[in-house]
Formats: sequence, C-alpha cells, structure tokens
Amino acid sequence: MVTTTAPPSPPAAVTRPRRAKASMTKKRREALAAYAFLAPDVLGLLAFVALPMVLAFGVAFFKVDGFGNYSYVGFANYKLMAHDDQLWSSLRITGIYVVTFVPLAFVVSFALAMLVRNHFRGIGWVRSAFFLPNVVSLVVVGLIWQFLLVDKRGAIANLLAPLGLGDVSFLGTPSLALGTYVVISVWFLMGYQMLVFLAGLKDVPKELEDAAQIDGASAWQRFRYVIWPLLRPTSFFVVVNSTIGAVTGLQAFDLVYVLTKGGPARATSTVVLYIYEQAFTFNNMGYAAALTTVVVAILVLCTGLMFAFTRGGRFDED
Amino acid sequence: MSATPFPARPHGRPSRRTVLRGGLGALAASAVGGPLLTACGGDDSGGGGGKEMSFWNFYGPSDDQGPQSKWFVSLAEQWNANNDVKVKLRYIPGKDYLSGTTLQTAFQSGQGPDIFLISPGDFLRYYNGGVLQDLSSALPAESKADYLPGLLEARSVDGKIYGLPMEIEPLAMYYSEAAFEKAGLSEADLPKTWDQTLAVAQKLTGAKRNGVMFETLPGYYQNFTWYPFLWQGDGTPIKDGKVAFDSPAAVQALKFWQDTIKNKVAPRKALGDGGGDVVSNLGSGAVAMQQSGIWAVADLRTKAKNFKYGIIPHPTPDGGKPATDLGGWAFVANAKGKNPEAAAKFITWALGSTDAEGVERQRQWNTVVKTNVPPRKSVQTAADAKGAFGEGVLKKFVSEIAPTGKPEPRFPPEVYQPIADAIQACQLNGADPGKAAADAAAKIDTFLKTYQGAPIS
Repeated sequence: MVTTTAPPSPPAAVTRPRRAKASMTKKRREALAAYAFLAPDVLGLLAFVALPMVLAFGVAFFKVDGFGNYSYVGFANYKLMAHDDQLWSSLRITGIYVVTFVPLAFVVSFALAMLVRNHFRGIGWVRSAFFLPNVVSLVVVGLIWQFLLVDKRGAIANLLAPLGLGDVSFLGTPSLALGTYVVISVWFLMGYQMLVFLAGLKDVPKELEDAAQIDGASAWQRFRYVIWPLLRPTSFFVVVNSTIGAVTGLQAFDLVYVLTKGGPARATSTVVLYIYEQAFTFNNMGYAAALTTVVVAILVLCTGLMFAFTRGGRFDED
Repeated sequence: MSATPFPARPHGRPSRRTVLRGGLGALAASAVGGPLLTACGGDDSGGGGGKEMSFWNFYGPSDDQGPQSKWFVSLAEQWNANNDVKVKLRYIPGKDYLSGTTLQTAFQSGQGPDIFLISPGDFLRYYNGGVLQDLSSALPAESKADYLPGLLEARSVDGKIYGLPMEIEPLAMYYSEAAFEKAGLSEADLPKTWDQTLAVAQKLTGAKRNGVMFETLPGYYQNFTWYPFLWQGDGTPIKDGKVAFDSPAAVQALKFWQDTIKNKVAPRKALGDGGGDVVSNLGSGAVAMQQSGIWAVADLRTKAKNFKYGIIPHPTPDGGKPATDLGGWAFVANAKGKNPEAAAKFITWALGSTDAEGVERQRQWNTVVKTNVPPRKSVQTAADAKGAFGEGVLKKFVSEIAPTGKPEPRFPPEVYQPIADAIQACQLNGADPGKAAADAAAKIDTFLKTYQGAPIS
C-alpha cells in the first residue's frame, strides 16, 4: 500500500509545477512578442516625444538665444505672455479654427461614411477618391490648393467668375483666409475620418438593426437609438483626434506655412506658427518652449473636459 | 515633427486604450510644437574636423547641377587642390535655408557650419549671438579698397568686417512689353510717379491680369522690397539709435501699397515663389508690372527666353527722390567653428582675391552664372570689358538704378516684425497707415530702450 500510494504523489507534485511553468512560458512568450512589437513605437515615443516634452518644460525657465547660450530666468517667460498681444490673437485664431473645423469635419466625414456604408457598384473607387487627399503630404496639398486658388486665373476663380466672384482672393483676404483653411483641412481629413466611422459602423451588430426594424423602428429611429449610441467611442475618438490635430497638427502649421506664412495681415497666424516664429525667427527658444507648455496644458484641459462630458465615449452600460 | 495626430493607418473601432494612447501621443506631439527640441540629430557635415570645413549654402551641389551649383562646386575644388584644410559643401534647399530650421537648430546645438551664407536681415541676429568671425585680419588692404563704398560697412561692427558680400542685388520695376502693347500703351506711358503708377496699372488691369504687383507674403523679403518707398520720402525706421518710423514718409509709403490693393490693380497674392519670382508672375502674363531684383534677368534668360520686358526705376512720390534697396548675400565664418581662421582665409580668398583668377571668379558669379551688380570695382571693370553691362536692362541697373541704392538695412527681428505687421495690415487689411506707423514705432521704441547689441542700421 505504501509503495502503491507513495509513487503517484511525487509525479503529481512534479506535473503541477510543470504544467504551470508551461503556461507561464507561453504567457511570457506572448508578452515578449507584444513588447517586441510595441518597442519601436514606445522607444520612438519616448525619445522623440516624451523626452523633448519634458525638456521643453525645463527650457521654459531659461532665456535661450539660439546659439547655445542659456540663462536662468525663472518664470519670466510665463510673465511675458500676459502682455503678448500676438499670442492672444494667435490663440483666438486657433480657437476659431478649432470650433469651425472640428464639427464640420465630423459632420462631413460621418455623412460620407453613411453614404459609402452599403455596398454598391464602384464603392471601392468612391471610397478611395474620398481617402486620397489623406495620403498626400500637406505640403503637396498646399501646392495643389495654391494652384487652384490663384487670384483671377485659378480653377476656382474661373468657376466663380460667372457669379461675379472671379476677383475674390481666398488666400489674400484676411476675412476669408481662415475659412479657406477650414475647407481645405476638412477636404484633407474627411477620408481618414470616414474610414474610422466606417470601421465603427461595421461593429454595429446587424441583428440589432434588424430587430429594431421588425419592431417597427423607422430609419431615423434606427439611426438615433441603435447606430448613434453604439458609435459613441468612435465619435469620441474622432472629436479628440481632430481637436488636437487642429491645434497642433500639420494642417495648423504645414499648410499655413506653405500657403500664407500666417498672413494676410496675420489672419492665419495659428499658435503653432507663432511658436515656430518665436523659436526660429526671433531666436527666443525659451519663450517658445514656455508657449508650448501652455498649449499642452490647454489641450490636456480640453481633452479632460471632453472625457468628463462623454465619459470617454464609453457605452452607458460600461 | 515625426509624430502626427492623424495616424496614416486607419484603426478599427478604437478601444479606450487606443483613444487614450492616440490622444496622449498627439498631446505629446504638441509639446514639440515644431521641431523645437528634436535638433539633436547630429549632422556629420556640421563642424567637421580641424582638417575640414563645412560650407552650408543654397546653391550647390544641387540636383539640377546648374551653372550656379557648378560655380560653388568648382570654388571648393579649387580651394581643396591647394590647401590642407578642405572645404566640404552642403546644399540646403533655399526655402529651408531662408525660413526653415536647419541652420537654427544646428547653431543651437553647437553644430553650426564653419562657413555659411547670410543676408543683411539676419546679420545682427548672428552677430549678437557671437557666432560671426572677424574677417578683417585675413582681408588684404587692396581687397578692402576694391569694394564699393558702404558695402563692407554694412557688414562691420566697430570697424571689424564680419561678412564679405558676394553680389549686389538692386530692385527695380519690371514691365511686360506685350501687356503694354495690348493695352495700347507705349514707353511714354511708363510711370514715373506713384500716381502715374496707379493710373497706368488701372489701364493694364483686366479680368485675367493685374496692372502692378508688389510682394504680398509677410517676411524679410517683403520688408526689403518696401524700404525704397519709405526712403523716397526721406523716411527711415531708426535714426541715430532712436525710432523714427512714425513719419509722413512711412505713412505715405504704407498708403501707396494699400492703394494698389484698394484700387484692385494689384493682386492680393502672388504666384509661384512670390514677389521675387518674375517668371511665374510677369512672365506668365498674370501681372503687367512687377517689382523685383536684378536676379530676375538671369531667371528670365533661362526660363522665359522669348519673353520681352524692360525695367524702370521705382516710381517716386511727388517731390520724392529715387531710391532702391541693395540686397545681396555674404559669406561669413562661424567664430565657434572648428577652424575659424582657416574659414576666414577661405572666404577672403573666394571673394576677395584681387589676382586675375579671383577677379574672373567674381565676374563669372556676378555676370555669367547669375546677374548681379559686382560688389568690387575691379570686377565691374572686368565685366565691362566683356560688355556685360553694355546694353539693355543690365546697363540700366548699373548706370541708373544701383547708384540710387542703399544697402539693405540690418534690423533684428524685433525691429523687422513691427514694420512687417504695419505693411501687412495696411496693404491687405485696410488699416489706417497713420495708426499702423505709430503702433509699429511704439513697439520698436520699447525694444530699443532695452536693446544691447551691435548698432542697428
């Protein structure tokens, strides 16, 4: 008895850890693979985004002349901002840009997504056509629009000439330039946001829609009570993403830099362009760093508020 | 600017985590706000060793390997054949060189080039930053005497020379012969005054063409092109170290540019590369008269061979005197470079040599590969001997226009910016010229009260 009962126990004792060890290894392997895939992104983020960000907070306390000389000035760079009219005007311009661009881009790209949601002949072509602007660099986008918007002789002037608007200078008139940027930006971004919405729409279970239809829900009701609520996380992502893009993104800098350099008469001088000017035209790199921290703070605040109001776009039942 | 808030790859429906990550990533990107602090990417051609000097420029060796690029390449080759400390060229495209970040970030991180090109508008910024090397001791007296009066002074502080000009670029008004003929105008109608300019431009303006054009994009270049109109009325931004911008001369010059837009005879936005691009604007028929510099002669020669044009001096206000702005880039050496003495020697050899070879090199640059007024008397004589300024627009530039010129002012950004804002506000936003001039003067005054640096002129 002793001999029969004794032997099984050691193997049991051995197998249990062995089994556990095997699953640990698999888990660890998966984790390692995940880390390996993430590493390039994370390292890049750390080296080129996180580290400069931290440094910017430090540099903001120095006067930096652009030739490698630093002198500590405490909060002087922040105090300067109070009397910097140009800063406030550039923040105002950026604000106007954000509150017109974000909703417009949202509506247009959502409408496009609904339009190309169902399969029809030539769908691939239509989707690509809308997405195409997004794969072009913004500098090229700028050049294309510069060409289209040429005063008096451009394609758009020719189109508008019969309406008596052939003389309108979209990029040369302060009251029109910012609006023109909004339109170009929407055109640029709508394809990408359309795809995000399409992906979101794909995740809306067909059964739910069908069920609603059987229950007698109209198309509007199906949209309002089934699709729209399920799209909340997607919508939240789109809004946050395009807000941040509008403040700091490429279209707030590259496009403006290529087309008008902040003109005419500073009408398109966005805050990022202003920071660039401070750093590279005026050589006030410390001040530019301080401005950057303020923009970051504003964005953190905006994103935080959006989180608070939409609970991060989570579903109600989460 | 590596991070973009709009990832190129579309995600699926984002989970909260991706939203967070995307949001934070983009947030973090904003901290860069332009490539502020990513400048650390070391460039091996910066600094160089003690045996090698880097020479950053926007001419060569360029991809098109045009004549100007070749001139730079052969300059380096000639030097390298006879000297131990070699010159290594690095080409930076013009747009990046002029308003990009390459130079700024290099200097900020102590990796600036040993030799580089500088415009008058940037002189004080670099001088006050302590990176300009004194070239005086390397420059022979005969060479110094060979330069036209005023040119070296504009690049000097306390009698020390910090840059050697490679060229003189005066500004004038170009006009299209075809446009004048089409409008039934003759040479007799070429405007001499501002009022005439507005009247003639009116006749030249049509559904597809503007009568006259001045630069509309904000920047150093626009200021540079506007100063002659200020000087015509005897105005100046700064006099004897004090602000003098709030003057009738400034107000009338601001108003003149404003009137060209108000009367709809000038475009609100130039084509191509802007006001200095004669091929895209005048050459394409979009405008009939355009203010630009002497470099446009070479541009038209290569890119619009059959285009017929002429030039006239800037029209003047009633009772005003003729004036033009003399631009032109200079070679400078980095005082904080690896070998500033050798760099100074190279520059004085490249541009200042008075031997036959040196004069010929300068003649080539100023009248063959590019069109300029040569900055040195001996070079002018050599060019004249070859008939470079014997006829046509170049003759007019040298004999009639350049003599009315002043070197481009060297203003630090704090002076240039308020003036730029005043020009822009009046020209394109209908601001009151009197108020704009007063506002700019107030800002310049505030700056001058605390300014510590080389004299502003």
